[in-house]
Amino acid sequence: MTMHVRSRKLLVACLVLLTAAVLQFTGVNPAASQTVLLVAYESPRDPGLDPTSAAWDAVRAVEVPLAAQRGSYAAGGGSVATVRLKALHYGGSLYIRVEWTDRTENASALRAEDFTDAVALEFPSRTAATVPSVCMGQPDAGVNIWYWRADVDAGNVALAAAYPNMQVDGYPFEDDTFLTARGAANPVAADRPVQTLTSRLFGYLNTSPVQDAAGKGTRTESGWAVVFSRTFRSTGPDHADFAPGARTDLAVAVWDGANRERDGMKSVSQFATLQVAAASLPGGGGIDGRFIALAAILLVGLSGIGIGLAIYGAAERSRER
Amino acid sequence: MPRVYNWQLGRQMDYRFETGTQKRQFAAVFNINRCIACQTCTMACKSTWTFSPGQELMWWNNVETKPFGGYPHHWDTKLLALQEAADPGGQVWDARAPTRAAPYGTFVGKTIFETADGVEKQATGYLPTDDEWKSPNLFEDTATRFSPTGATLPEHSGWFFYLQRICNHCTFPACVAACPRNAAYKREEDGIVLIDQQRCRGYRKCVEACPYKKAMYRPTTRTSEKCIGCYPRVEGTDPLTESIPMETRCMTACIGKIRLQGLVNVQPDGQWAEDRQNPLYYLVHVERVALPLYPQFGTQPNVYYIPPRWVPRDYLHQMFGPGADDAIARYTNPSRELLAVLQLFRATQKIIFSYRIEPGPKTAEFTIDGQKREIYNDTVLGFDSKGNEIVRITVNEPFYERPDRFAMNTI
Repeated sequence: MTMHVRSRKLLVACLVLLTAAVLQFTGVNPAASQTVLLVAYESPRDPGLDPTSAAWDAVRAVEVPLAAQRGSYAAGGGSVATVRLKALHYGGSLYIRVEWTDRTENASALRAEDFTDAVALEFPSRTAATVPSVCMGQPDAGVNIWYWRADVDAGNVALAAAYPNMQVDGYPFEDDTFLTARGAANPVAADRPVQTLTSRLFGYLNTSPVQDAAGKGTRTESGWAVVFSRTFRSTGPDHADFAPGARTDLAVAVWDGANRERDGMKSVSQFATLQVAAASLPGGGGIDGRFIALAAILLVGLSGIGIGLAIYGAAERSRER
Repeated sequence: MPRVYNWQLGRQMDYRFETGTQKRQFAAVFNINRCIACQTCTMACKSTWTFSPGQELMWWNNVETKPFGGYPHHWDTKLLALQEAADPGGQVWDARAPTRAAPYGTFVGKTIFETADGVEKQATGYLPTDDEWKSPNLFEDTATRFSPTGATLPEHSGWFFYLQRICNHCTFPACVAACPRNAAYKREEDGIVLIDQQRCRGYRKCVEACPYKKAMYRPTTRTSEKCIGCYPRVEGTDPLTESIPMETRCMTACIGKIRLQGLVNVQPDGQWAEDRQNPLYYLVHVERVALPLYPQFGTQPNVYYIPPRWVPRDYLHQMFGPGADDAIARYTNPSRELLAVLQLFRATQKIIFSYRIEPGPKTAEFTIDGQKREIYNDTVLGFDSKGNEIVRITVNEPFYERPDRFAMNTI
């Protein structure tokens, strides 16, 4: 009888250890509140801004859950449940690839009722005294935001894209003074797909004087894939800085244009941890080292359970005799 | 949420921001009875401010034919329906004897701020589609029905009227309340409401919230724009008048002489400070002949209308509140002072800050609807911001007899 109980305990312990090992090595996170770790290894080649670049094939995606923004006006969103993140660095620049499911393509905001699909990454500013509020930062801890919008990236910036049959007699002036927001240097009016922004409280999103984040998106079968990139070091005030071996935080927001999402009406994540690894991407091109380790753990674990069961069975049989 | 006093509703209401810092308020009176819908105002505005790419469907000033017309289409009835759905049967007035703090009684229904949750929306509203912004003069001159036997006052059986609309530069603007990043703001010096083109991010919350739909989206800059109240003219920084405040383009271009615009002094609580000789204060608060447009929305709009005399009163009550009957009565049978002040409309480009009347002789006496009427040829004088006389005009139009040498009509 003693042997029976001990064997069962051993079996449970083995299963727990095995499960933990599998979760650890596959990166699956069963608890949404638990911090997600995104590791940016050094890429053996330049990933560029193309989300379909083969450089991303060897990188394991991390799933980050999203939820509707309910904290402050204007609340809303929640139509995108999760994003898949990948990260790399190459030549002193950080690359982050975001992919999400969005069946409706909204890549034009030319009509008054149309809103663009969009995504943004948020990092604590280098001057943040503490970890900022994920909701647009706080006075003593700002955030740096990279915002990509589908309409500008797709080139849908001229009226003719929405109204192919339009006719205008003429415009007396066409310089930026008369494109008022552009004349006022508002980056929303610049035909740039990625805007570099900073914030120290919700309602206080600001345009950074240094527009140095770049990005490119592409339509996938089920949604969007977007790559953001920026050099590790930035001259922009309140920007984030990165360095190999250093950790920082990273949050994601997604807007679904079909749901008329914009502003605070969005799907947002909590902060995940971004680790910029000093090491190169493991097994770049060959078999992933983590795969070998996982296989070894599985083999040892299963063997252990098998041996345990065999011992237990033998003991049972001898007792019956 | 702060409590503010809305004198047009005769009660306090919730609004996102406190009042108390504003000094003066842009205001205007439009006399609907005189408008011929020539659209000169519309084109004056268009050719001054909205002639560039992305502004093709943008008309900061428009004149629409009521009851069917609207720019954007059905902007008012759509919002009235949303408000009625939010407060079924409750959108009514408690009309009482007028006081200065409650000239139209008390509105006991809910404003657009009070029917919104404050979390997803600051004000009840909707976002018009691009089709609704097109055809800005749809239903032009369309009457409710054909009257084969003609129409007679007090209410025409088949009717329409022209509604002239610009931004109301509201005392409690819904666009300002709705903007999550304070890109829309109200100026302390004159109450003109602007959208900062450097801060705007094109969320279109203002377009959605403005009950009068006078914030408009511009696709070429991906931001929203609105009527700027010709603020360089109102400031007096336009070189034409050498630092004397001047009325806006749409006002001064009005050939029907239906418009008078100016600035009124504002008390810390948002009410107009007493200023008996300011023509706008006189028309709105003393004679109460000019009424706000849809005051029940709760934004305290600052363009005031002399209601059309021939329109069914229930429609006018809905559009201008319970003051419509008294306003029409006073306009139909004007006092000696009102008749003089009405001459100030479009007598000068400069803003009239005060007026004075010099009595003149009685020139006519007659009876209308059993009421004895007397006309005096008074002279009304208007003064600019520095107290200088800028206009002098009589009630009776001056009459000139041509000398003989023009007898053959050789002009």
